[in-house]
Amino acid sequence: MTEYFEISSRLNILQRIIFRHGSISVYSTFGILIAIILLGMLAPILPLQDPIKPNLLSKLSPPSLEHFFGTDHNGMDVFSRTIFAIRTDFTLALSSVVLGVLIGVPLGAISGYLGGWIDSTLTRISEVIQGFPQILFGMAFIAATSNSLWNVVLVVAFYNIPVYSKMVRSIVVPLKEIDYVLAAKVAGNKSPRIIFFHILPNALTPVFAQLPLSCAYAVQMIAGLSFLGLGVPIPMPEWGSMIQAGANYMVFGKWWLSIFPGLALFVSVWLLNMCSRMLQSLWERRE
Amino acid sequence: MYWIFFILKRLGALIVSLWIVSLITFVVTRLIGNPIYLILGPRYTEEQFQAAVMRLGLDKPMWQQYYEYLNNLLVGDLGISRYTSLSVTSELFNRAPATMELATFSLLLGIVWAVPAGVVAGKNPQGKFSWFADMISRAGVAMPSFWLSLLLVFIFFAKLQWLPPPLGRIDSSFHDLPSVTGWMTIDTLLAGKLDAFFSALSHLIMPVFALAITTCPSIFQITRARTTEIMSSDYIRSAHAFGLSSKTIQIYVLRNMLAPVLTMITMTYGFLISGTVLVEVVFTWPGLGLYAVKAMNHSDYEPVLGVVLFATSFYLLIYMFADIVNAIIDPRARLSS
Repeated sequence: MTEYFEISSRLNILQRIIFRHGSISVYSTFGILIAIILLGMLAPILPLQDPIKPNLLSKLSPPSLEHFFGTDHNGMDVFSRTIFAIRTDFTLALSSVVLGVLIGVPLGAISGYLGGWIDSTLTRISEVIQGFPQILFGMAFIAATSNSLWNVVLVVAFYNIPVYSKMVRSIVVPLKEIDYVLAAKVAGNKSPRIIFFHILPNALTPVFAQLPLSCAYAVQMIAGLSFLGLGVPIPMPEWGSMIQAGANYMVFGKWWLSIFPGLALFVSVWLLNMCSRMLQSLWERRE
Repeated sequence: MYWIFFILKRLGALIVSLWIVSLITFVVTRLIGNPIYLILGPRYTEEQFQAAVMRLGLDKPMWQQYYEYLNNLLVGDLGISRYTSLSVTSELFNRAPATMELATFSLLLGIVWAVPAGVVAGKNPQGKFSWFADMISRAGVAMPSFWLSLLLVFIFFAKLQWLPPPLGRIDSSFHDLPSVTGWMTIDTLLAGKLDAFFSALSHLIMPVFALAITTCPSIFQITRARTTEIMSSDYIRSAHAFGLSSKTIQIYVLRNMLAPVLTMITMTYGFLISGTVLVEVVFTWPGLGLYAVKAMNHSDYEPVLGVVLFATSFYLLIYMFADIVNAIIDPRARLSS
């Protein structure tokens, strides 16, 4: 019960910080981001046109009142596809980041707490993983396994593991020798209990602050992979593959196919970056 | 003597890292995935399957497979592309200069805008310029490089017709150039053809701009942060108090800023070697990235892995280089290692 209390009180601190120190830019960033996510969640019940219904009579028509963002080479409505793509991209990004956190956080905690050769091996491996070229390694991975959504999630998660394990490790190492942890040890607590209930709650806030940034990278990587035709299957609305579909028409001046999904991608990544930055500075201010 | 030990230690670390790279790629391709399905395609008979297993040596025990894989890597054999039936290693070396040229020019342009802007913004972090440059760098980070490339193609080729179409490195009329370095801008100058040089340069403008905007903001951010930190430090305040000229103080600031900024620059360069892939696709730039993507589209596996290994090794090499340079510039970095 006390552990639960500790964690929830920390979450409350985060909320309180946001509301107390909130400025206009903080409110607008979080507001627009939440609006985008809501738009994605509510897309099926909003009065939008079917995002994957081809209409051969109105192919490549420019933006108009009927089709706000025009139609693509299959006659699908770009506006509705851009909105529906929020679901695809955010779901994939969030699940890969969560997977990365679930593996990376315990790994970093164990690595930092135990030290020794386990620590140095894991640290070296994370350094190497961060040196892997993201898009190319994603290509190699998907080529070796198969072109499925699950594999996209896996490969993006793979990149997130070292991010979180490094961060948690750097928090755990100095805490190892701190009085209350030593006291817990003297009181006879087992290592797993000390790691997960006494040390890890301290990592909660920085991990939360990192989450939006990781999501931003994940969205970019997913879009990049589907721009190359990997990952998301074709009729499914996704920003990267929509940009790809419009790429060849760009040269002929048909801009609306690529510009709008790219703009949506740009704005989302921008907001996620800002969000992370704000959480980080709020956290630092508290420190 | 100290430096020999230092460099040997770094080389040892590099070799361990490269070994881990080989291990990870092996695990991903042979244990998690299986190259055989990619080779055979969706339809195959039992005999074809068995023949492919024998040919690739997938029936041998894992350790033996890994041993052979490592042996091939050590002699620089990355296999043969099934699509072009050329050795992957030689293709990599043929195509690397195109990517290098793109990455180097992008990095240079990035440094030219990011470092001075970072210094100016860092001196007055609350000012208008700082805010403006910060916005540009944030936009650059958030913007997908391939989308920015398409945007540039739309504006400068489709609408304004100022720049050449996104088709390769040079105008197709200059096809008989001798290849000396593989760098179009240098080769054309060596051949003494100025018009070809300008053609190569105009083909570089859009991809280089797209890459410089999207990959170099980290250089700006670190320059700005370091400058602000140094400007508010005690020793700069003392220098002001002693009445040193602003020029001398400027030199102090720049010297203290150099090490982290240089590290960031080298890391950006290491990242650029593979980070060009999406831009290469947009501009049909015949570099490493396009090679891998084309191979992928033909279900050809070895080139993709070859490019991954090449880019990762390059990154790790550059990372080690940054470490050594850092130690030369900044004595404090030597102590911590």
